[in-house]
Amino acid sequence: MADKQEPDGIVLTEAQKKSRRERSIAIALALGVLVVLFFAVTIVKGPAVLVRPL
Amino acid sequence: MSVVDHNAIELSPRISEANVADYIALLKPRVMSLVIFTALVGLVIAPGHFHPVLAFTSILCIAVGAGASGALNMWYESDIDAKMSRTANRPIPRGRITRPEALAFGMTLAFFSVMTLGILVNWLAGALLAFTIFFYVVIYTIALKRWTAQNIVIGGAAGALPPVVAWAAAAGSLSMEPLLLFLIIFFWTPPHFWALALFRSDDYARAGVPMLPVVAGPDATRLQILIYTVVLVAVAFAPWPLGYFDAVYGVTSLVLGGAMLALAVNVYRRRQGSDALRATRKLFAFSIFYLFALFATLLIEVVAHAIAPSIW
Repeated sequence: MADKQEPDGIVLTEAQKKSRRERSIAIALALGVLVVLFFAVTIVKGPAVLVRPL
Repeated sequence: MSVVDHNAIELSPRISEANVADYIALLKPRVMSLVIFTALVGLVIAPGHFHPVLAFTSILCIAVGAGASGALNMWYESDIDAKMSRTANRPIPRGRITRPEALAFGMTLAFFSVMTLGILVNWLAGALLAFTIFFYVVIYTIALKRWTAQNIVIGGAAGALPPVVAWAAAAGSLSMEPLLLFLIIFFWTPPHFWALALFRSDDYARAGVPMLPVVAGPDATRLQILIYTVVLVAVAFAPWPLGYFDAVYGVTSLVLGGAMLALAVNVYRRRQGSDALRATRKLFAFSIFYLFALFATLLIEVVAHAIAPSIW
């Protein structure tokens, strides 16, 4: 009986893995920018951050 | 016997190979750069002090909102993009990104750009950005583009709004100056896009887009280009005598307007062969420089005034 097992499910190609990693990094960076942006504006505005004039 | 060939149904999910560059292409970076520039001018000429962090946030949100509009435009127009040589290399016709992926990407960016601008800066700017995206996607892309030759005239309002959004972000209200910037871009759009449509009319005809040269013919388009250029030059010059912008702007506007008008007359007169094509291409290229130079003058005026108020 052979020990070697067939891989289950979907096996990504190298190109698919690379592009998925790229996209994941881009999403992480975008979220990081959003967090930094909200933090920076909170510091800049101080208590006035809750005042949002129309 | 089933009429559905079950063997033809693909059971495994599609695995995307789209990279970051494909998603950046969805944002229409060249259009975005002009949006950023015109918005920056609207932001800088607005009265009062605006904190750099808030200014950066505003420009970022406007840029992302413009990118969202581009992605949603490509989502809806993928069928005609595939038929036109100018757009056949976009990510959806090339098969790099699917339509649902583009829709999800565009909607996500639109939501975050509007909400971030509204929450962090002010809701007038946020609402105007939402309206801009809505106007570009729903009014221009979905309703007008395939229906009327006036598509880019009315749809041009969406491209003219970014400096208004930026002004609203900085000032928290609206006044005459952003409206003048809006009118300049609004009347600049028809001669710019009709010049492009003149030398790409085969493309538009193949895709079934009723651009003016396809529907009314090249001669009628040349006349319309000339009329709109006359209006544009007058509208771009008006802020000086009306007292909104300085003399440097007025003179620059006059010189640039004269050149733009000369090129539009050239397009109107040269109607055959390579001369006509060259005249149209020249007008198209110059129109980009015209808008850039006009807005750059406003930017330089403000910066120079801030650096040396006594001299300027």
